[in-house]
Amino acid sequence: MKFLSIVQLTFRESLAKKTFMAFLAISTFICLLFIFALNVDIVDGLQSGVSIFGKDLPKQFDLTKIVVGIEGGLSVLLYTAGIFLSLFATSNLISTMLKPGFVDLFLSKPVSRLQILSGRFIGSVLIVALNIFYLVIVSGLILSLKTGVWNWGFLWAAVIIVLSFTVLFALMTLLSIISKNGPLSLMVTYLVLFFSPLLLVRNQIYALLSSKYYGYFFDGLYYVLPKTAEMGAMTQNLARGLEINSWMPLWSSLLFALVMLGISAYIFQKKSY
Amino acid sequence: MVVETLELTKHYSKGKVKALDGCSLRVEKGKIFGLLGPNGAGKTTLVKTLLGIIHPTSGSARILGEPISNYRVHAHIGYLAENHRFPEFLNARQILFYYGKMSGLNTELLYKRIPELLDLVHLSKWAKTRIHKFSKGMAQRLGLAHALLNDPDLLFLDEPTDGIDPVGRKEIRDLLISLRNQGKTIFINSHQLSEVERISDEIAILKNGKVLKTGSVEEFISVKQQYQLLFTEGDTPFSEVCAELNIPLVQTDGLFTVSVESDLQLNHLIDELRQQRFILQGIVPRKISLEDYFIDVVGEEAQV
Ligand SMILES: Nc1ncnc2c1ncn2[C@@H]1O[C@H](COP(=O)(O)OP(=O)(O)O)[C@@H](O)[C@H]1O
Ligand SMILES: [Mg+2]
Repeated sequence: MKFLSIVQLTFRESLAKKTFMAFLAISTFICLLFIFALNVDIVDGLQSGVSIFGKDLPKQFDLTKIVVGIEGGLSVLLYTAGIFLSLFATSNLISTMLKPGFVDLFLSKPVSRLQILSGRFIGSVLIVALNIFYLVIVSGLILSLKTGVWNWGFLWAAVIIVLSFTVLFALMTLLSIISKNGPLSLMVTYLVLFFSPLLLVRNQIYALLSSKYYGYFFDGLYYVLPKTAEMGAMTQNLARGLEINSWMPLWSSLLFALVMLGISAYIFQKKSY
Repeated sequence: MVVETLELTKHYSKGKVKALDGCSLRVEKGKIFGLLGPNGAGKTTLVKTLLGIIHPTSGSARILGEPISNYRVHAHIGYLAENHRFPEFLNARQILFYYGKMSGLNTELLYKRIPELLDLVHLSKWAKTRIHKFSKGMAQRLGLAHALLNDPDLLFLDEPTDGIDPVGRKEIRDLLISLRNQGKTIFINSHQLSEVERISDEIAILKNGKVLKTGSVEEFISVKQQYQLLFTEGDTPFSEVCAELNIPLVQTDGLFTVSVESDLQLNHLIDELRQQRFILQGIVPRKISLEDYFIDVVGEEAQV
């Protein structure tokens, strides 16, 4: 219950920020768009016409393709802009907790430091998950009910998006605990988010390098850092109902998150405030 | 003992700053304990260390019989932090609710207790006002209500009357006395003597992280009688005589001050001095009060 109140307070704090409200508003707008813009006429159990924004599509057009296409597009949007905004909106949740005068009140409660940190972490992830699942479930439901096409991969894509956010947020948590500076932590996290896709094409970089040790260095970096590009691709594939060749990017990124959280907990435990 | 510290030490900047320097203290149950000291003496560091917010460099301490590393004991402790901050988007009632939950109190109890406490600190009218509109004094009173939420056995108050007007101060003093009479222990940090002098049962003076003196208020006020001895010839060395008679002697700016247990001892000293042909010019009695003592040890800067 004490733990829950920390989660709850984090939740309240996020909602007080306008970013999440804007996020919810945009999601709602997208859902409304689907309600009114997509029309499927069913006659005698067979589709007789499909229209998007009032424009009729050719009759033989594959409905499954439309639904999967839209959901695939949405998951790309969520994976990129969604995660970008979510990181922005949560960037000072950990660092404000550590502010003088604020942290004292948490630490003087009958809760352990591990509970405080994990409560804060889980609260932040929860609000982002809520936002993402809201859009995915509601829009998915509208599309499926209208068309009769049920694409469960879209839901799995949402799970991967939330997990990807969690991985990056774990990194941001560690940075915040070390630096007590939200914006700085956000910037470094963005750097990792945009830098790690470059490591995918490291073979092309190797050609430009003089020493093979650089190669080892980039290989190391690739395996250690979260694999944001591949998880993005994974999200897309899931949404489009394609096979996933390797889950390595996911589990190695989750491992990275666990290590980040472990170090964060250790440092938070040892620090004086 | 409700609070017990043993050689508690906290160093910053690799030992360059000694915020606490071998601090040993004991606080008995049911007492109001005033920790006095100038700004930077280490009072806040001590309280934060006792609450596990700061980890000591060395030494040990116990509160309510438990080692300070045991956070569970915080369920029975109230804390008014110096310059505390609550989330500004919440109102007074919500703050007491969330932070009360964090103390492990259930919803039912909180619904009963929060209005009582808001009433006690005269914030009922502002219960639904977001606290970013609060003045320093109102924030401080909310902090006090927050510290009392869990009906604590031990209360730590760090500069509690900061920003509060004289009438409010008197009310807080009365409140603390009534809490003490209910058997609670109250630990007050202050750099202002006038704030603790009137209500404390015990006082300790802290400076540069060291406890200079502890005792009851009476002990502080009725220190040994002190006299200044004036001699015709400037620097007359009579320290040996004092040492022989076991009389403490302090020499400042050419003034000799002796502390004696009784009039008899003073006369004994004069006899000795006369026998050794010292020429006395005068004997000036110097009453030492707690305030004198405090100013003596902490310097002028503390009396703002
Ligand atoms: N985080 C810190 N880093 C370095 N020095 C500190 C830190 N916190 C406190 N100090 C120093 O420790 C000393 C004691 O501070 P404090 O406990 O706040 O004193 P008080 O509460 O008696 O005014 C001061 O000299 C202060 O500058
Ligand atoms: Mg202080």
